Amino acid sequence: MNIHNLSKDTVLKNLVTSDKGLSETEAAKRLHEYGLNEIKEVRKKSLFHRFIAQFTHFLAILLWLAAGLCLLSEYLHPGEGLVSLGIAIFGVILINAVFTFVQEYRAEKAIEALKKLLPFNVKLSRDGSTKEICAENVVPGDLVFLGEGDKVPADARLIESNYLMVNNAPLTGESDTRPRSHEAFEGDYFESPNIVFAGTHVVSGSGRAVAFATGMSTEFGKIAHLTSGVQERLSPLQKEIIKVTKIIAVIALTTGIFFFVLGTFIGRSFWHNLLFAIGITIANVPEGLLPTVTLSLAMGSQRMAKKNALIKTLTSVETLGSVTVICTDKTGTLTQNKMEVQEIWTLSDSDALRIPSPLRGEGKGGGEAWSGISPSPSSPPVKGGESYNMLMQAASLCNNAVYDNGKYKGDPTEAAILKAAREAIGDMKAERIHEIPFDSERKRMTTVYKWEVGSGKWEVKEKDLLTSTSHFLLPTSYFSFTKGALETVLPLCTDILRDNEVKAISEDDNNSLMHTYHSMMDEGLRVIAFAYKEIGDIEHRIQNTDNPPLPPFSKGGMGGFDIESDLVFLGLMGLEDPPRPEVPDAIEKCHSAGIKIIMITGDASRTAVAIAKQIGLVKNNPVVIEGHEINVMSDSDLRGKLLSDEIIFARMTPVHKMRIVTILEDEGERVAVTGDGVNDAPALKKANIGIAMGLTGTDVAREAADIVLLDDNFASIVNAIEEGRGIFENIRKFITYIFASNIPEAVPYIAYVIFNIPLPLTIMQILAVDLGTDMFPALALGAEKPARGAMRQPPRSPEEKLLNFKILGRAYLFLGPIEALAGLSGFFYVLHSGGWQWGTMLPSHEVLYMQATTACLAGIIVSQIGNVFACRSFKDSIFRLGFFSNKLVILGTAAEIILSALIIYHPWGNRIFGTAPLRADVWLLLIPFSIGLLLAEELRKYYARRYSNA
Amino acid sequence: MYKKILAAVNEFSNSEIASRYAITLAKSSHAKLYLVFVAEEKIEKDKLRHAEAALERLFLEARNTGVDVESITECGEPVSKIKKLVKEHDIDIVFAATRREDVKKRFFVKTLSRQLMVKLPCSVAMVRVVKMAGIHPKHILVPLRGHLTDIEERAYFVATLAEGSGAGITLFHLHKPITSFINGEMHLKPVQRDEYVPKDVEKFREHLNKYKIPHEKKTGTGSIARAITLEAAHRKNDLIVMGASERSLLSSIVKGNPVETVLRETPCNLIIFRGRKS
Repeated sequence: MNIHNLSKDTVLKNLVTSDKGLSETEAAKRLHEYGLNEIKEVRKKSLFHRFIAQFTHFLAILLWLAAGLCLLSEYLHPGEGLVSLGIAIFGVILINAVFTFVQEYRAEKAIEALKKLLPFNVKLSRDGSTKEICAENVVPGDLVFLGEGDKVPADARLIESNYLMVNNAPLTGESDTRPRSHEAFEGDYFESPNIVFAGTHVVSGSGRAVAFATGMSTEFGKIAHLTSGVQERLSPLQKEIIKVTKIIAVIALTTGIFFFVLGTFIGRSFWHNLLFAIGITIANVPEGLLPTVTLSLAMGSQRMAKKNALIKTLTSVETLGSVTVICTDKTGTLTQNKMEVQEIWTLSDSDALRIPSPLRGEGKGGGEAWSGISPSPSSPPVKGGESYNMLMQAASLCNNAVYDNGKYKGDPTEAAILKAAREAIGDMKAERIHEIPFDSERKRMTTVYKWEVGSGKWEVKEKDLLTSTSHFLLPTSYFSFTKGALETVLPLCTDILRDNEVKAISEDDNNSLMHTYHSMMDEGLRVIAFAYKEIGDIEHRIQNTDNPPLPPFSKGGMGGFDIESDLVFLGLMGLEDPPRPEVPDAIEKCHSAGIKIIMITGDASRTAVAIAKQIGLVKNNPVVIEGHEINVMSDSDLRGKLLSDEIIFARMTPVHKMRIVTILEDEGERVAVTGDGVNDAPALKKANIGIAMGLTGTDVAREAADIVLLDDNFASIVNAIEEGRGIFENIRKFITYIFASNIPEAVPYIAYVIFNIPLPLTIMQILAVDLGTDMFPALALGAEKPARGAMRQPPRSPEEKLLNFKILGRAYLFLGPIEALAGLSGFFYVLHSGGWQWGTMLPSHEVLYMQATTACLAGIIVSQIGNVFACRSFKDSIFRLGFFSNKLVILGTAAEIILSALIIYHPWGNRIFGTAPLRADVWLLLIPFSIGLLLAEELRKYYARRYSNA
Repeated sequence: MYKKILAAVNEFSNSEIASRYAITLAKSSHAKLYLVFVAEEKIEKDKLRHAEAALERLFLEARNTGVDVESITECGEPVSKIKKLVKEHDIDIVFAATRREDVKKRFFVKTLSRQLMVKLPCSVAMVRVVKMAGIHPKHILVPLRGHLTDIEERAYFVATLAEGSGAGITLFHLHKPITSFINGEMHLKPVQRDEYVPKDVEKFREHLNKYKIPHEKKTGTGSIARAITLEAAHRKNDLIVMGASERSLLSSIVKGNPVETVLRETPCNLIIFRGRKS
């Protein structure tokens, strides 16, 4: 037995409370035991810890180590300028940490948004009197009063209810109201009408409930638990960056140790060898990599924002490019969320009507059995008979949407039905005396109208349809109109209206009806059934009974009289939420890009499959799983189903999403999931990429997501994926570019030690390259457009490394040596032209030495200009790509040239970097190296293309 | 296996909820139930009244469900009195509720819960009540570590509790991540993780099978405490039954203590079980 199964007395007994509520003493004791009724963030990292984490990741540690070695080297061998490099590296770490921290801090407010859904004050009973207290002081056992407009403060069991209707949207994701009752319930706890959940909203009626769970123990608290408790994982890019860093660390340390040992064998002193080892280690650390990656991602997020995908966490830019599965909602994402009545069916002489829509493509099937097609969507549908007119009246009157100032306002489905009715029969005005609202359990609504001839209370404008129907000729009549899902309306009907004749529903009628219903569903239409009943003078009958006065709402009845039985069936309306026009192309792109799309919808399976076929999501017979099936399915069974190529989840609630996402991720998939509701938040957090809807999404969903879709459009996701795919390749491009310059920075140092020559490149000049001239072209490579075939290739395998042997070999063994040759050529050319003799050491302030090191620096910079064009593609020729197709590369190169000119020719640059102006002949010597590098790369690319084609 | 069960009752409502689990177990295992209230000296009248009322309610509830029940009120220091009663009546298992202020303390130093766990010569089920409803759990989560103690008794405890409540069981094992220097933590699919499920977990399953209790086996990854609480919240478990911590104080300070963290963050009621032999 559980709380929802128990009678009122047992509930009170089990929760150790009474009809008068808790005493203040007991409430205080319980508050002490169970804590405040509040939503908390589970294990929230303090801001300080989050900030410190930016300084302690692996790449930051490597940079700390490099900076420390700089300071050590400066201490052991002052005057080499290493202290400047050390300070610069500290600056890089700090700026990057602050930038990333600010980006991440913005993303952590989902729990704050959840907290806003709980009430501030609550009315309850304590010590037998009614009190209003702060909602956070509610404890288990408290007797809470619920009234229209209240938010429920805790999970509670109803002990009294008076036409109570509650909107469970924050928990179920479905914005419909549900009737609540205090009676004991034998079914499932979550479906129990006697339970009200924290965070939900009382729409109407009143009641009293005993709280049994508060704070984080409530179902709402579980959402908070799941949202804030999801373990923060590294994104695929972060993992790859760590791997790259480890590889760099291994290379740098190995090189340092190797040359230390070599120097010992050669016979150099310990301190000399140590300084050299430190120098070579620092030269191998790419100081510019961290800021370049961060800025490149920031630029990527800007480009995605232009494509309606607002990025909240920087690394999501690349993660999006690596997704293998997209779990997407249907309504509003794949479709326009603009309902339109497409087909109408009544049993009349003309049998049926069909309203063609411009959105419905050729050959989509359906409609062959229909007649009476109207000429155009703008003209009113052709009258199909009296049953048709009556259906339209029901559509108009059993409806809560309104037509106001030329716009239809209300639920999209109701607005579409009202629009169809208005266009067919004009405006209707009548006195509504009762309503049984729609709720998702009954799946229908009923309205009751009073009609008095000549009273003006029932007006039919434009067309006088009612008078042509014999049923409406009584001076005062009462009618009920019911609309809803066929499976809930048809069982209430005994008769059917065929033109003017009300007749019993025959087997043929039923077959025809069901055939039509299935045909409509197969076309992807949402089907609504209509019925009516003449109920006589119900007001008079109610007055003459002992029943209570007319309640605002009741469950299937009115004043004790059943108004939802023996109904006359009127017909069906088929509504379509048209697919977004750009979606089929986007889906095709995903298919060719090897991305699996899983539709998760609350709609019926036939409708879901039909829409999926229309938009090209499925081509064969997909596996369709409905909500009730997934509930009883084990994880291993569901895992097996998820392996199917085409799979659709229908009649789903958001709670199922997290399970699907978890299983997919367990299987190694990289999952993007869309969501808009409060209880989508855990799935949005759990997925590799959570995508919230910007237009229809709740604050909670938006805060929990990594990406906010500004137009709710599926096509925007696909565009952003294409952009994301380019980012990974772009990072590889600038890694190649940055790593290539490590060799000409390291080789001079080796030559200095081994060949006993003056140091060809000072530490400050290394810094000028790594954190100066290299930065702008590297960033420009980060902005390269995705390759043309990016969406024609399968998603990047998790095994695919950011830094592989091909990239490392190209940078270290091919491009790097050419650049080293350029630098040393310039260095020796200047020395020799200045009369230098081999083995002569020059003082660091001598002009010849400064010119020589400047020439080495210029050699590296010039060859890096050729390199930036070479690195734009691994295989494609620059002549095919076009020199000017990425304008940022041109701008980056221009910035590089201007910065070089300042370093080489401006007195400030000379002073800071120990440089001296170069003669023109030095440039004439160096420029061919840039061209040579580019041509050598073209040759390599030619063979690379040939090899891959073969 | 259990013939005599003792439930410690006090003036707090959570001890009443904890005792209801003892009633369920007593009914399911046909054991005699001792409801014990130990009043400390100089106890306030109000507290005494609340505790005695709770004792009475529980007595009636147990009797109405057909359990052989005895109610005992003693005066003195609770731990020593309960220890004495355990010895006197040859009690198999003691149920007691943890208090929120115990949970707040690091490593439960100087808490009643810790003393009962350490000093009693029988099995102990320490109950953390965060939700007053759901007396009969429908989904029990049983996290299992690699090396289990009292496998047979723990399986019996879980099986009997599940049988008495008509609950399903999910066995949840978190395997140690496989790492390498360059690649970091390797991702293993559930099928691959299954290969690393320890023998003790399989033994536990065999015992459950013996009692014909339906159960599902799951493996997970990541931080132990967080994975357990997330699994409980995600799959709507309404009770967690996990073994008592076997980490030393030093080890808990250095590596953390998952049991302590789960106690603090559990989204549903929790039973920490310590077997007689532990």
